[in-house]
Amino acid sequence: MKEGFRQCMAWLHTWSGLLVGWILFAIFLTGTAAYLRPEITTWMRPELHATAAGPAAAQAALDHLQQVAPRSPSWFVNLPDARQPALQVLWREAAAGRRGFANAWLDPATGETLTARETRGGEFFYRFHFQLHYLNVPLARWIVSFCAMMMLVAIISGIVTHRRIFADFFTFRPGKGSRSWIDGHALVAVAALPYHLMITYTGLVTLMLMTMPWGAEKAYGGDRAAFTAEVFGTAPPGRAAGRPAPLTAVAPLLEAATRHWQGGSVGRIAVQHPGDANATILLTRDDAERISSNPQTLLFDGTTGALLASAGDTGGAAAATRGVMYGLHIGRFAGPLLRGLLLLSGLAGTVMVATGCLLWAVKIRQQALKRGRIGFGLRLVEHLNVAAIAGLPVAMAGFFWANRVLPPGLAGRAEWEIHLFFIAWAICLLHPLLRRGRQAWIDQFAAGGLMFALLPVVSLVTTERHLGVTLAAGDWAFAGFEFGLLAIGAALGAIAWRLARRRPAAAVAPQRRQPTARLAAGAAE
Amino acid sequence: MIALSLALAYAGFTALSLAMERHHEQAHGHRRIPAGRRRLLRIAGWGLVAASPAPCIALAGWGDGSVLWCGLLTAALLPLALLLAYAPRVVAASAVVALPAAAVAALLGA
Repeated sequence: MKEGFRQCMAWLHTWSGLLVGWILFAIFLTGTAAYLRPEITTWMRPELHATAAGPAAAQAALDHLQQVAPRSPSWFVNLPDARQPALQVLWREAAAGRRGFANAWLDPATGETLTARETRGGEFFYRFHFQLHYLNVPLARWIVSFCAMMMLVAIISGIVTHRRIFADFFTFRPGKGSRSWIDGHALVAVAALPYHLMITYTGLVTLMLMTMPWGAEKAYGGDRAAFTAEVFGTAPPGRAAGRPAPLTAVAPLLEAATRHWQGGSVGRIAVQHPGDANATILLTRDDAERISSNPQTLLFDGTTGALLASAGDTGGAAAATRGVMYGLHIGRFAGPLLRGLLLLSGLAGTVMVATGCLLWAVKIRQQALKRGRIGFGLRLVEHLNVAAIAGLPVAMAGFFWANRVLPPGLAGRAEWEIHLFFIAWAICLLHPLLRRGRQAWIDQFAAGGLMFALLPVVSLVTTERHLGVTLAAGDWAFAGFEFGLLAIGAALGAIAWRLARRRPAAAVAPQRRQPTARLAAGAAE
Repeated sequence: MIALSLALAYAGFTALSLAMERHHEQAHGHRRIPAGRRRLLRIAGWGLVAASPAPCIALAGWGDGSVLWCGLLTAALLPLALLLAYAPRVVAASAVVALPAAAVAALLGA
C-alpha cells in the first residue's frame, strides 16, 4: 500500500459520506424535527385545545369506549401529558381503515368527543426518519440501517482524517472558499461529536433486531413472541372466556401503579377483552420519566382489579443497555432544556451532512475548473445537493401548508398532506434543470423561507387558533411553535439573501477566459 | 445551575482558545503570547472545563447529568467559534461577564 493510513481513511470518509449523504441529510433533518413530535402534532390539530387533565380522564376514556365499542376485542387509551394535552382512545375494529384501528379524541375534562382534522402530524417525520415512505417497511428500514452504518464509518474515518482536531478546535474562517466549508464541516462535527457518535450508534441499535436477529432467534429457538414477551413485557393476550363481566374501576389501578413505580405516572392503558370475564388491563408507565425506553408495565385482572404481573422493573444487563440506548436515541426523557440541546446537536449533525455533500462538489469543481470541463458526476451531485438540502425544507413547509389549506372533510386527508410533501420535494428535484447553479439554491431557499414565514399568516386565515388569539390567551406552546416557524423562515431567507448578494470571487477574477468564468459562476460558493 | 455549567464550559473554552496563537491574534491583534499568560490561560481553561460538569451532575445525577453536559459543551463551543470568526474583540470580555452572571443566577436559584 503506497498511500498512508490517513489518505486511505480520507478516501473512505469521502465516499462513504457521499454515497448516502442525501438520504442521511433527510434522516437527520426529519429526525431532529421528530424531537418535537408532540408539539408538531399539537400544532397540526389546532382544534384540540389544552385542558387540565384530571384523574378522571382515564375513567372517562373507558366509559366512552364502553359506549362506542363494547364488542371490540381491545381498547387503548393514551393519557394526556404535559407535551400532548389531548386524550386519545383507540379500539380494534375489523371494518376500520389503518391497521384495523379506529380512534377518537376526547376532552380530558368531560370525556366528550372532539373533532380534529385528520393528520399524521409529527408522527410522519418520526416514521420517515427510519422507514421513509411509499416503500415497503422492511426494505426502507434496511436502507436506513445501511445509511446509518455508512454514517458511522464516515464519522470514525473522519476523526482519523482530521489531523488538526485540537489545533482547529475553535477555528472557523469565513469567506475563504473551500477552506471555509472544511472549517464549518469540521466545526459542527467536532462540536457535537459525542452526539453524532451516540445518535448514529444508538440509531443502529434501534433497528438491530431486524438487522441482526440471529442471537434472539438462536436463544429462543425462533419463537419471536416468547422473546418479545420476555424483553418488552408484552405477553400475547389470553383467550376470552365468553362470559360477560363488568370492567373494574380504573382509578384504583392507576393509584396502585403510581405506588408501584414510586411516584411514576401511567402513560397508556390497554384493555383486552373488555366486558369479558377474562378481561385484562395493562398499564404502561409514561416514557418521559426515565432514560431507558424499556417499558415498565403492570397487568391487572380486568374484573377483580387484582395485580397479575409486573414487567420492566428489573431486567438483564443486555436488555437494560438496549433500553438506555434506545431511550437516548429518541430523547423522550429529555426535559425542555435538554430537548433544546438535542435539537441544537441534531441541527449541527444536519449541517455537518450538508456541508460534507457540498464540500465534495466544491472540491471537484475546483479540479474541473483547472481542466476546463465539467463532468456528469459533478453535475449530478450539484443537482442533488440543491434538491436535498434546499428542497427538503420546502417539502416540510409544503406538508405544514397542506395541513392548513386542505379541506377538513377530504377523504384520505392525512395521506394527501404527505403526498403534497413529496410533490413539493419532486418540484425541487426538477427545478434545478431550469435554473442552474447558484440561482437554483437562491430560488429554493427563498421559497422555503417564504413558505415557513407565511405559515402563521395561513393559520390566521384558516384557523381560529392564530397568534392573535394564542398570545392573548397565554397559549405559549402554540404561539412558541409559530414563532419557531417564523425563525426558520427568517433563517432560510437569510441564506438566500446572502447567496444572492455575494457573488463568488472566482467568477470575477478570470475575466479573460470566458468558459471558465461561466463554470465558476455556477459553483455553490 | 445549568447556566453555571454552560458558563464554566464557555469560559474554559475561551481561555483555551486564547492560549492558542491563532485565536490570540484574532482577539488581541498580535500572535505572541507571553509564556506566563499562556500557562495561566491553559491551566484556567482546563480547570474550568473540568469543573463544568459538576453543576449538571449535582442537579440531574450521573446519567441525565452527563447527557446534559455533553449537550452543553456543544452549546458552549459553537457560539465561541462564531464569535472568534465574526467578533473576536468581544470574546475575552464575554467569558469574563458570563461567569459571574451565571454564578449570580445559580445563587438566585435560576
